[in-house]
Parts: sequence; C-alpha cells; structure tokens
Amino acid sequence: MEFKLEAHRIVSISLGKIYSARGQRGGLKLHKNLLVSLVLRSARQVYLSEPCCPPEPPAAPRALPEEPPPPCAAAAAWAPGEPPPPPDEAPRGGPRRPGADCESARARRCCCCGCCCCEAGGGGAAPPLPCCSRKRGAGERGQAGSPVKKPRREAEEPPPPPPGEQEDMETGNVANLISIFGSSFSGLLGKDPPGRRRAPRDGGEAAAAAPAEAAAEPGQICCDEPVLRTLNPWSTAIVAF
Amino acid sequence: MTGQKTLQNILADIISTVEFNHTGELLATGDKGGRVVIFQREQESKQQPQRRGEYNVYSTFQSHEPEFDYLKSLEIEEKINKIRWLPQHNAACFLLSTNDKTVKLWKVSERDKRPEGYNLKDEDGRLRDPSMITTLRVPVLRPMDLMVEATPRRVFANAHTYHINSISVNSDYETYMSADDLRINLWNFEITNQSFNIVDIKPANMEELTEVITAAEFHPHHCNTFVYSSSKGTIRLCDMRASALCDRHAKFFEEPEDPSNRSFFSEIISSISDVKFSHSGRYVMTRDYLTVKVWDLNMENRPMETYQVHDYLRSKLCSLYENDCIFDKFECVWNGSDSVIMTGSYNNFFRMFDRNTKRDVTLEASRENSKPRAILKPRKVCVGGKRRKDEISVDSLDFSKKILHTAWHPSENIIAVAATNNLYIFQDKVN
Repeated sequence: MEFKLEAHRIVSISLGKIYSARGQRGGLKLHKNLLVSLVLRSARQVYLSEPCCPPEPPAAPRALPEEPPPPCAAAAAWAPGEPPPPPDEAPRGGPRRPGADCESARARRCCCCGCCCCEAGGGGAAPPLPCCSRKRGAGERGQAGSPVKKPRREAEEPPPPPPGEQEDMETGNVANLISIFGSSFSGLLGKDPPGRRRAPRDGGEAAAAAPAEAAAEPGQICCDEPVLRTLNPWSTAIVAF
Repeated sequence: MTGQKTLQNILADIISTVEFNHTGELLATGDKGGRVVIFQREQESKQQPQRRGEYNVYSTFQSHEPEFDYLKSLEIEEKINKIRWLPQHNAACFLLSTNDKTVKLWKVSERDKRPEGYNLKDEDGRLRDPSMITTLRVPVLRPMDLMVEATPRRVFANAHTYHINSISVNSDYETYMSADDLRINLWNFEITNQSFNIVDIKPANMEELTEVITAAEFHPHHCNTFVYSSSKGTIRLCDMRASALCDRHAKFFEEPEDPSNRSFFSEIISSISDVKFSHSGRYVMTRDYLTVKVWDLNMENRPMETYQVHDYLRSKLCSLYENDCIFDKFECVWNGSDSVIMTGSYNNFFRMFDRNTKRDVTLEASRENSKPRAILKPRKVCVGGKRRKDEISVDSLDFSKKILHTAWHPSENIIAVAATNNLYIFQDKVN
C-alpha cells in the first residue's frame, strides 16, 4: 500500500519534471529527461504491480501539501490549461482541450497555481510558457493523445530538413503523456476500469478515441489501469528527443 | 527591475568549471555567464616569501555569448561547461572552452612591449602625410604595462546536435574530442569546418534510447585510446585504431548492481557524472551520485576501489529527486601522484580519499573557515544517534551549497574548489 502511494507520488513528481523541462533555457536536457522517464517507468511498474488498489484517500498524495485536498486537484495541477495544448486539438495558445474534463472551475483555479507549483519544489523553474514554441506538423494531429500508439516524433518544421542541414533534436510530444495523465489521476485510484481498451496493436484510432470518449463522459475515469498498462511513458518522453 | 538585474549578475558568476594548466602556474575558471577568468600564480620572491604561491587574476574574457537557434527556437546557454588547457610551447597559452554547442580555442598572450617610432603613423595612430616624411627610422620596442590579451583563434561549431558535456585534448596535441549526449567527435585543431564522428550511440528509433554518454576523456599517453562513461554506470574504453567508428568498445567496465540497494532511483544514482584517467594512465576514476570508484584498466568486471562520498544520502533519495539535487553532476580529480582523490559534496563540503592509507577527510569551503593561512578543520556529518558538538546532522546540510567542480595542481598540493560563485584555493602549509 505504501509502495503504491509512494509510486503514485513519484509518478506525479516525474511528470512535473518532464513538463517543466519544456520551458527551460538551453533546451531540453536529454540526460535528465531520460533519467526522469526511467524513474517514471519504475514507479509506474510498481504501482501497477501492487496487488490492491487503496480506497480513495481523503487527501491524495501530491507533490505539495498546500494544494486543496480533493484528489482531482492533484491531477488538475497537471491538466494542460495554460500550458501547451496537446497537438491534436487546441490550436496554439488556445483553450484547453475538451477532453480535460476534470477541470471544473475549482480545478481551473488549482491549475493556474498548479502549473507553477507542480514542480514539486524542484528548483523554481519558470512556469511553462503558454504557447508551445514549436510548430506541430499536420501529420501529428490525428495521432496525438494516444496512450497506446507510440507517439510520432514532433517535427520542428513539417518538411524534413534538407540533406546536409543540421540535425533536428526531435523535441516532441511530451504533451501526450501529460494529457493522458493530466485529465484525472482518479483513474489510478479507481477500482474497476469502465471497459478494457483495445490491444495496443490497434494503432492510433483506438487511442485517439480514448480521450474523446472521456470527453463525452465528464467525471468518467479518463486514465484507467489498462491504459496505464499499455502506455509506455518512458518511450513517450524519450521520443521528445 | 533592479533586483532582477542583480540576481542575473549573481547567477552569471556561478562557476561551472575549474582547471589548472599543465604546469599549475595558471588556473582557469569558467562561469555560467560565459566568462573565463584565469588566475596566475605569484612568482617566488625573496622580498615577500609568504606570498609565494598565491593566485591572482591574470586575464578575464567573455568566451561565449548566449545564442539563439532560430530554426529550433532554442536558446543556447553561454555557460562554460568545460575548459581544457593545451600544453604550452611558447610564451602564449592556449585553452579550449566549450558551452553546450560550440568549442573555442583561445590564445592568451602577454604584451609588455610596444613598438614606437613608426614612419607612416604618429604616436596617436594618425597617418602621416608621406610627402612630409624626410627621414626613415626603425621602430623600436619599448616597455609598457603588462597587458594580457585573449583572442579566439578557432571556433568549432555546428557539430553537435545534443549538449556537449566533455572535451579532451589528445596526447598528440594535434587533435581533441568533444562529446555530447549521443555522439563523440574528433577534431583537428587546425580544421574547424570538419570533424570526425568516432562514437554514435543514437538509436535509429529514439524511443529505444536507454543510455546517454555522460563524460569522455583521452588516455594521457596513448593517443589512440579514450574512455567514455554512460548514464547506466558503465565505462567503455575504445581504440581508434580498431575502426573509424568506435561504436564497439575494446573494454567494457561495469559493476553488477547490488540487489539489496535497489530503489526507484537506482538508475539515477548509478549514472556516472565524471570520468578521469589517472596521471599514470593505469586507472580510471568515475564519480556517480554517492560514490567514487577507481577502476583498473585490466579488470572490467568490477572497480578496484569504491569510496563512499556521502552514503547518508541514500535514505533521502526521494527528497533529493524532488528538489533535483539527485541530478547534480559532481566531478572528481586525482592529485599529481595519483595517491589521493578528491570530490565535492553538499554544504560546501569536499572529500579527499587517500588511496594508500585508506583514510579520508571531509573539509568545508566557506568564508568563515577560510581566513588566509588558517588551517582547515576536518568536518563530520552525524548520521544518527547522538550528535557530537562539532558534527553536523544530515538534516542540517545545505543542499544549495554544492561543490561540483574542483581541481588539483598537477604536481603540488594546491587545490581549487568552486563553491557556487566563490573560488577557494587551498595549499599545503609551507614550512
């Protein structure tokens, strides 16, 4: 039980680090983000392998104790409100995506301070910029937000760089990961998933449907265990590079 | 607004690298603001024998400026990641300094004479009318106040997609290498528009990436040999004679993991932050988050020696992960005779380990403790139970005061310790 809570906490912290890394000066640090994603994977594995799901605690473990108690708030801290919208939906600088339905007005308020606070005391990095600094290729739109399909690399500019050009760092789609976890962490604590998702091999369509389904049912668990099982956050994060 | 500017000035002074030159006469520091400051040792003087060995500022110059990569919308930090000296062959000194993307070769030279008596221009530099010149004279050199100038002689740019973490000058003194997270390039000092890629660990599919290069160094004597360390705690020794691309190592050093120490953070703390050959070339020292290890090049399956730097942090890894301290990259250094190794820790502590006597000491670099010619008192961290008077408890350690960069004079017991934006130089007491 304790391991599960600890794992949950570490997952939150790790996501926060990946998330806040986007805004940092000098560009994403591959080494650090690789290490964070390894921790994330370990914590996720522990979380998923723990035998029983604990009943929803009154105050969900979260990075900062001063956040208001409801578990949704912890998740809402991750919801992409201000920060870069997931690629398949909101335009740059636009409103948060429809699927982020855990965001009631209360959550919205949490989100604003959550964005700044959610680094888990990690160094006071600047709050993430509201607009992602990268353009997203048209090809990305259909597949983003996918928890099962390995996300495509985000192109710096849609056409591939001409031969001989400087190589692209392939900074990419970490928002995928954030959007999946961000809608609701209640999925991690819930008992029965609403229904098993299709197998990972089905590709992007099933996955793309998942956030849409979630959008259709506010309050529905957005991120349930089977999704968590099939998600490989490590690869998702690393694909950013 | 004023406050912010002050803050930036302070931040710009954080020392990010420290390096003695081959004679120890010069000590270079690089900082977060892209500046290099070189200190020079005072000459011995009979008049002031007590001032022997003091280091004073010799030259300061701006090595790197912040840049912006417009194609990638990325700012490139000007922070100096590493400085490496070239051996000195004439009056001028050369050093390499690098930020995340660009390596520069700087020439530092003294000017203490000035030519006077030109024919075509007067002393102010104004051109003279040639028709007014009736006699010719030979310009002579006259003494002037010593001026130290630094000029960039080469700029090695556009060869690294990822962030440069190491540079190392080859023992042939004609080439050097630069390493980033995934690749190592070999350069010739004379050629700036080409470099050879000698290691490339980038997977075809980035999703399969499992480790990155964290440090690299050439062997001190064998110009064909180098090592590089990884984020998985492994060291690879490569021989450039074997093939042009050294993706296959000649030797692979790895210690099996201790299962009893497994935690969420095992992988992070095994990541090697620094690798250094001994002066003899027989050993390699590595630093990971909690330990320093000395490896014998002839024994690949485990290190020869392991030294605990601050094992009391093992139970605090989760907090250190939260506040990002677990990602701190400590460096390690050998003394001139390879008998003592030194590395930094938190609370402005640094540690020395004597490999022969197996004794170790913890010292502190702080203004209060470091009056000139004061003797450093050993410090001790209390790990549990009753804390003695002079001890400091683990929970009182200041994790914002970290010593990441240290340097040891090549032949004498003089050390340079960088504590955030202060540089401390300690010497053995001269009797």
